[in-house]
Amino acid sequence: MRSEWVLPKGHLSYWLRQLRNRASLIAPLRVDGDIVFKSLENIHEVSLDNPALLPSPKEFLLPQQEGMFWTEGERIRPLLNKERRFIFGVRSCDVSALGLLDRFFLEGYGDPFYRERRRNTIFLSIVCNNPDPTCFCIGLGTGPYLEKGFDIQLTDLGDRYFVQAGNRQSQRLVRQWSFLFTTPRKVDYEDQYEVFLSSKARFQKRISLESVREYILAGKVRDSFWESVSERCFECGGCVYECPLCTCFTVTDRSYSFGTERVRLWDTCLFKGFTRMAGGVLPNEKRVLRTKRWYYHKLVHYPDVLGSFGCVGCGRCTVTCPGRIDMATIAIKLRDLQDNGR
Amino acid sequence: MDKILTVCPYCGCGCGLYLHVEEGRLVGVSPSRSHPVNRGSLCVKGWNAYEFVVHPDRLLKPMIREDSSGLRECSWDEALDYVAHRLAEIRDRSGPDSIGILSSAKCTNEENYLIMKFARAVIGTNNIDHCARLCHSSTVGGLAAAFGSGAMTNSISEIRDAKVLFVIGSNTTEQHPMIGMHMLDAVDRGAILIVADPRRPQIAEFAHIHLRHRPGTDVALLMGIMHVIVNEGLVDIDFVRRRTENFDAFEHVLRGFHPQAVESITGVSIEDIRRVARIYAMEKRSMLFYAMGITQHITGVDNVRACANLVMLTGHIGLPSSGINPLRGQNNVQGACDMGALPNVYSGYQTVTDPRARRKFERAWRRKLPTKPGLTVVEMTEAAYEGRLKALYITGENPLLSDPDLNHVKEAMKGLEFLVVQDIFPNETMEYADVVLPACSFAEKDGTFTNTERRVQLLTRAIEPIGDSRPDWEIIADLSGRMGYEMQYRGTYEIMEEIALLTPSYGGMLHHRLRERHGLQWPCPDVGHPGTPFLHRKKFAKGLGTFITVEFRPPAELPDEEYPFILTTGRIYFHYHTGTMCRRTAVLEREEPACYVEINPLDAERLHVRDKFPVKVSSRRGSIVVSARVTERTPEGVVFIPFHYSEAAANLLTNAALDPTVKIPEYKVCAVKVEPVMKEDRRTRPVKVVDLEDLRIT
Amino acid sequence: MAVRERNNIYLPVKAEVVEKRHLSADVSLFTVRPDVPFDYRPGQFFMVSLWGAGEVPISVASLRKEGAKRSQQGGDLIEFCIRKAGKVTSLIHDVEKGGFLWIRGPYGRSFPLEYATGREMLVVGGGIGLAPLRPVIQWALRERNSIKKVSLLYGARTPDDLIFRDDLKRWAESGVNVVLTVDRATDGWDGNLGVVTTLWHKSEIDFREAVSFICGPEVMIRSAINDLFFFGMPEDRIITTLEAHMKCGVGKCGHCYAGRLYICTDGPVFSFREIKEHNLL
Repeated sequence: MRSEWVLPKGHLSYWLRQLRNRASLIAPLRVDGDIVFKSLENIHEVSLDNPALLPSPKEFLLPQQEGMFWTEGERIRPLLNKERRFIFGVRSCDVSALGLLDRFFLEGYGDPFYRERRRNTIFLSIVCNNPDPTCFCIGLGTGPYLEKGFDIQLTDLGDRYFVQAGNRQSQRLVRQWSFLFTTPRKVDYEDQYEVFLSSKARFQKRISLESVREYILAGKVRDSFWESVSERCFECGGCVYECPLCTCFTVTDRSYSFGTERVRLWDTCLFKGFTRMAGGVLPNEKRVLRTKRWYYHKLVHYPDVLGSFGCVGCGRCTVTCPGRIDMATIAIKLRDLQDNGR
Repeated sequence: MDKILTVCPYCGCGCGLYLHVEEGRLVGVSPSRSHPVNRGSLCVKGWNAYEFVVHPDRLLKPMIREDSSGLRECSWDEALDYVAHRLAEIRDRSGPDSIGILSSAKCTNEENYLIMKFARAVIGTNNIDHCARLCHSSTVGGLAAAFGSGAMTNSISEIRDAKVLFVIGSNTTEQHPMIGMHMLDAVDRGAILIVADPRRPQIAEFAHIHLRHRPGTDVALLMGIMHVIVNEGLVDIDFVRRRTENFDAFEHVLRGFHPQAVESITGVSIEDIRRVARIYAMEKRSMLFYAMGITQHITGVDNVRACANLVMLTGHIGLPSSGINPLRGQNNVQGACDMGALPNVYSGYQTVTDPRARRKFERAWRRKLPTKPGLTVVEMTEAAYEGRLKALYITGENPLLSDPDLNHVKEAMKGLEFLVVQDIFPNETMEYADVVLPACSFAEKDGTFTNTERRVQLLTRAIEPIGDSRPDWEIIADLSGRMGYEMQYRGTYEIMEEIALLTPSYGGMLHHRLRERHGLQWPCPDVGHPGTPFLHRKKFAKGLGTFITVEFRPPAELPDEEYPFILTTGRIYFHYHTGTMCRRTAVLEREEPACYVEINPLDAERLHVRDKFPVKVSSRRGSIVVSARVTERTPEGVVFIPFHYSEAAANLLTNAALDPTVKIPEYKVCAVKVEPVMKEDRRTRPVKVVDLEDLRIT
Repeated sequence: MAVRERNNIYLPVKAEVVEKRHLSADVSLFTVRPDVPFDYRPGQFFMVSLWGAGEVPISVASLRKEGAKRSQQGGDLIEFCIRKAGKVTSLIHDVEKGGFLWIRGPYGRSFPLEYATGREMLVVGGGIGLAPLRPVIQWALRERNSIKKVSLLYGARTPDDLIFRDDLKRWAESGVNVVLTVDRATDGWDGNLGVVTTLWHKSEIDFREAVSFICGPEVMIRSAINDLFFFGMPEDRIITTLEAHMKCGVGKCGHCYAGRLYICTDGPVFSFREIKEHNLL
């Protein structure tokens, strides 16, 4: 089945309006000086000229707070969210992250809450032609465009979009309104390739996490380095909350007079209470252990277990970290140490 | 999924955040990237600010105390009629000054204004105050006298361009994390950071110089620094001559603070005093920051005056990245003060004793207003204890955890004839309340908050009120109507309009203007004014800046043989004030679930106390049992206890000694003793007795 | 719908408390009958919860009857030994006989009991750490023909803190070499004093040939495995079970993550070799 089309720009809003009739359509909107993902009321409000740095769409699959069960007496009701969603305007780095999240949540013990949300969500991603200064997906192969792993990928060719569908479900979204789309011609492929090239050229940060990993595995990074990093940690949890690949959560029960809700909430390994054992022992009381744990998880363990880094180079931790000890900064610091032969 | 921009309800940074709403429920928070304070970051409290809103403990219905059965739920009509009736009756019988009102630094400007109006126009008393008394009244008093205005003179975004940061008595990275972030940026850009704090807070890790003076010796330290500045000719003579007055009298007093004398008082070496004096004075873009470490002393006002003198002496004020910056604690403590929720001023610090100001408000409110300043928080407690104060109306405060010497406060609350508590959660004070009124949280109402850099920002309602709760301003307006004084506002914007008319510094603060670019900084006198990023440009608010002479006075209670330690209290990163919100947030409560006392390893060794061991800390006023945390953050001879925990309330120990001018209690110094507690026998349940003979298997 | 709910890994099953026994001042043994049968092995754990309180991981303290069939009325009895250590466990302790707990599981790797076949078996426990080892000993007694010898070294803080005293007595009578010790003696105790790792000589075990199962406080585990390794026990046969903060039990919540492994799904049972390789202790 065909999976590539061209969509004239003028047809986009019509298509989106049709999609909105099928499910709730979530897209980046400019609000009060910021860009946020929210449900779309007016199609013309979609903001596509924004820089790459959007909030992570992780919240639609693993919300910051998610009800798990509601109980009254002995009756238990699982709170599965079955809302159908189209999320438009997502970036390639986040789509790459989704691939890993899917593996994490669905392999082995499948997470029913994630599964239900994932099943009902289609991501329409856009090839980045305007990366932010904080972006470094190019060094990780997670952007600025994807060869596979996307639901629907759009490439902005100026007056039209190059549209690629990555699976059957997504192909249907195009074929149902096939009159909006045309068959790609040679020039469309060429233009798409040119967009890829020019996008790649715009990146300001070139970071190889592979060399950082080798450096760490070679035992060259001393604990004093991690000490100096952890001193600057504000313990805000921002890096974890913003990270499209961080998945830790905690579970808490809320008892109301009319029932009990079991909810899960985002949590972070950067807090000492995260690993508190029964009786109050804190295995990671020292902050440096926690900082190191986060970096080791992303740079060392993730590749060992899942075969790719626990980082897609989205650069959000660079924006949010008040202590400026985000992934990119640390990687650059380590590279400099390495270059200086230390 | 909707996302609504609003303002964080925790500290005075006033970070912009989005509340995520799904199907009418709050499900998350994300930071605003364009906000000038937080710029895409948040601290852990901000990130988790959505959770407490739906906590099962929320007060859902008004309650009235029945003599026999405690509090019972009732309708709003019944509750408000009852409150109106009782307050009117007490006012008529014992006079308006037998009623006290506590407003709240957690409420919006509009609400504080209405509560202030309610006290003055409806009840007819100036007995209105709020928790700023306990944190920054020294600032309001001290800086107003010196400059004519008591607030941060600079903007937070100016910090990163500063060359010298002098932080005294502030644990900035933990208590104002987003300001700490800007400080760290400044340091990364080459600024010199000087921290003066007896403890070693996180910010001290980045300091080029850390002065660890003895608690309560701030005046001496600052005077010593100024002595060096004068002696070495580092005074900005032009500035002193053109823009200040009373320098000569001040210099005369200053002569008494020879660095040698200062060294013996403060424990800081002469070299360090000299280094700091030179670094601070010689750079023009020097910013001074202080917080509760300066204000919560019996010499709180003197401490602030000394800081003010220091910036005037060096001319470090009235320029971008150059000024004196009190870091306000509560999200709207600046606003509550601006709105005149204080016993001596109307909104915009127009004094009640000034006949012209009074006439203005009398004409606007169509009521005769009381002429003499009212009682402060701590004085109200005292008056209640003595029976002079009969009724107290508390909005969003918890004196039974936040005030000093709690055993005394408890007695005072018991003595009241009538106590109304209006809050979002049950709190310790509610135990004595006759009526409890459920209010809305920040997510359920609109209005404005003024952050520590004087930025008036719009709060937006994200969800419908939980249960039957109502926004504080609606409750007050309703109650006022029932007491025969109509307050008819269609929304908070109408209240703001009235504020703007009566308050010169808020003249241009209309809601529709605040919607753009994250609010405006006061003074903003008219609707065309762009707001004021830094104060005292070209001239001080009151004309000439005044050098006010200060003398060093030791703390009210010093350690002695029986109580050999100095106790200092404060906040910790994961918690906030009396814990009403953060202790109902799963992650925050998990991080620091129990109270502790920080003690220096050397002291711990002497007392045979080990980390996490239980110890009993006692002062002349009470005692608590907490676990020890052995750390070098706290110097020898000093112990530190966070005051968030009602189950081990640090304020059972603190001293209610007050600053003579503004009546701020001395939370930061009192004398205590520390004793290890033997583990009690844990046996609580009967265990089947097994013959030990049987167990002697080997 | 019903099928999908069954697939919900976080959905607990109701279990009636049919017996509750106090084992020491703060430890009780809950015998529960779940609504559906569970197949579990020594070393595995369940997430035990009360609605409104929360969930905690608790290892099974009983051995599943061999060949137990799935019955219509519900599952077999399962025993959980629970120490009052925090908020959730304190609330669980308020549940009495006839009340309900909610359980899901079993999770984690079990003890590789087959290692013991044809060998001597050394069981080392400290405090409540005896709970997960109890089914190991019960299994060993059931399989006594194929196991050369069983020796138990068990220590607790005080004589009052020794749990499963009836069992200890019964085991000793059945031929297990039971060696007890306490840190602090109370009146009437004239047995061993000190930590279990001072009692190796009383174990009467040939360390080189034996397999050991260890559970207890972290310090005890650490010195026990080091000692045994030093005595020549192969690192694959030094088996212990680790404790960690857990919220999900199925490798999702991240709390128990340690050196690329999840204690809940990759453990909680680990050999000394794995502990060394992944830096788990």
